[in-house]
Amino acid sequence: MWAADLVGAVSVVALGAAVVVASRQLPYYAEYGPGPGFLPFWLGLALVACGLGLVADLLVRGPRHEGRFVQPGSWRAAVVLGSLVGTILLVPYLGLTLGLGVLSAFLMRVLGRHSWFGCVLVGVLVVAGTRWIFGVWLKLPLPEGPLGF
Amino acid sequence: MDLLQNLYAGFSLALSPTNLLFAAIGVVYGTVMGAMPGIGSVTAVALLLPLTFTMNPTTALIMLAGIYYGVAYGGTITAVLINVPGDSSTVMTTLDGYQMALQGRAGPALAMAAIGSFIAGTIATVVLMSLAPSLAQLALRFGPPEYFALVLLAFSLLTAFEGRQPVKIAVATLLGLLIATVGLDVVGGRPRFTFGVPQLFGGISFVTAIVGLFGIGEVLASMERPYRLDVLQARFRLRDVFPGWQDWAASRWAILRGTLVGCLVGILPGAGATTASFFAYLTEKRLSRDPQRFGRGAIEGVAAPESANNAACISAFAPLLALGIPGSATTAVLLAGFLIWGIRPGPMLFQANADLVWALMASMYLGNLMLVLLNVFFIPAFVAVLRIPYTVLMPLIVVFSTMGAFSVNNDVFDVWLMVGFGVLGYLMKRLDYPVAPMVLALVLGPMAENSLRQALILSGGDLGIFFARPISGALMAMALLAYLYPVARWAVRTRGQRAAASGLSTGRG
Repeated sequence: MWAADLVGAVSVVALGAAVVVASRQLPYYAEYGPGPGFLPFWLGLALVACGLGLVADLLVRGPRHEGRFVQPGSWRAAVVLGSLVGTILLVPYLGLTLGLGVLSAFLMRVLGRHSWFGCVLVGVLVVAGTRWIFGVWLKLPLPEGPLGF
Repeated sequence: MDLLQNLYAGFSLALSPTNLLFAAIGVVYGTVMGAMPGIGSVTAVALLLPLTFTMNPTTALIMLAGIYYGVAYGGTITAVLINVPGDSSTVMTTLDGYQMALQGRAGPALAMAAIGSFIAGTIATVVLMSLAPSLAQLALRFGPPEYFALVLLAFSLLTAFEGRQPVKIAVATLLGLLIATVGLDVVGGRPRFTFGVPQLFGGISFVTAIVGLFGIGEVLASMERPYRLDVLQARFRLRDVFPGWQDWAASRWAILRGTLVGCLVGILPGAGATTASFFAYLTEKRLSRDPQRFGRGAIEGVAAPESANNAACISAFAPLLALGIPGSATTAVLLAGFLIWGIRPGPMLFQANADLVWALMASMYLGNLMLVLLNVFFIPAFVAVLRIPYTVLMPLIVVFSTMGAFSVNNDVFDVWLMVGFGVLGYLMKRLDYPVAPMVLALVLGPMAENSLRQALILSGGDLGIFFARPISGALMAMALLAYLYPVARWAVRTRGQRAAASGLSTGRG
């Protein structure tokens, strides 16, 4: 965790520095008062200061054994994230609601080892429910694939 | 009388069939979500917020407020029966509530929590009704410097109350403010940090950020550490549920003191129901004639924090409605709702939308009444909900978050943004950066920047304007003190450690 914490703190410094540089492209002061670059500049500077403080603190305390960032169960989080990204990529082919139905069934089967029947049932309910709530009730134009979902 | 007239108008609106129905939906859904460990009030409110975009604002607000205070009731069930807080505001309840459940007194613990919450909620609504209009009167005199000072005070109190890792809280706040600057600059109309992406010109939608941070982020974090819930078996026949007279005698002052603490803490910006329950428990323990009983199943240890968290939920509406400044992450989500419906909370709200305000406050009485009935008579139904496996619930959270993000602009781009915020929320959770300050900063960011810049335009760039005016000067002083508090505590602790170390070495020599 120490290394992960350090990476986090260094990223804060880097982000702050990038914001400071980017905010210099915007007018710091306009004729009517502080310009659009005013607040971002100071926010960036404060981020750099806080990040450096965190880095210094971590370096002074030194590496400690507080467990690892990657845990035995991390693959489950990766499965959720990966399949969600896959679902969004498949929206042009499956449509949004059918995609989410398949996603629900997939996650239940892989992570919960639920019965096929239960997984398909929840999947169908998700498609029907989201179509009804968001498509019929709220009248949103839902992205549909060639299958008409 | 004005108040009675307003109350009458409020109740007649809140008692309309639609509003009653949505209040009931809100409190039932809130109780269920509260009972689910890991789903707090922010997630519960944020998941349903997209459904309210096209609803009547009064009805929507009544439902969302019902969710907010309903979560605190539901969280108690989990705290008592599983020893896991269902919502962060019920952490203190686990201490004595679970002990009571082990002694076979889960029923009285839950009933007393519900009844205490009901009493506290009702008193807090009265306090809110009498306080909020006068606060709004005061706020009419606020200009840009006062608003900026108020926002700064909210951020600083968050740092002081959280206590742990003040630098990480500051980073989270700064990140939130930074994300809020994306989009067209409101004063000059120039795009900032949009990277040429047209969808970013309107800024990053708060709903997208919040369902990502809390919905997806929470799912990712909790999938990593799957938990099994061992629900304690308990009897919930009415005979087992009702507290005996000894319980009443022990709890009545605890409920009233909890209410008082809750009302006071709830009004403060930056402190919410969780802080309130914490203070109430400590107060009760300190005042007790027999502090040893606390942590071993003392019913006051359940009654006080439960009354306090509900009172704080309600009184937190005072700064939200009258000043337009939310005190916690959940009220920040509600503020975002207001802005989406095109209503600006603040002093003018009590004139422009008086019917909405009074209907909301009237609905709080009704909602609390529904909750106490639900949580005394229908406990077994909510306990059954706890048996739904997380692997069934989790895909549903993902589905609702995704649909919520999509519905903001009917654009898949927002769904991608949501995934990004989900990863950010997960990383922040794992690296121990608190997410609540970021949420508050996201919502308050545009207001903070506008008031800062307007104040500096007024003063011609002189920072002295924040200290020269009496109200803003006092608020700024309080904010600076709150920021200095963690520093002072750190200095005292380091000196203490040094003194101890030197004492040790001289003792040896």
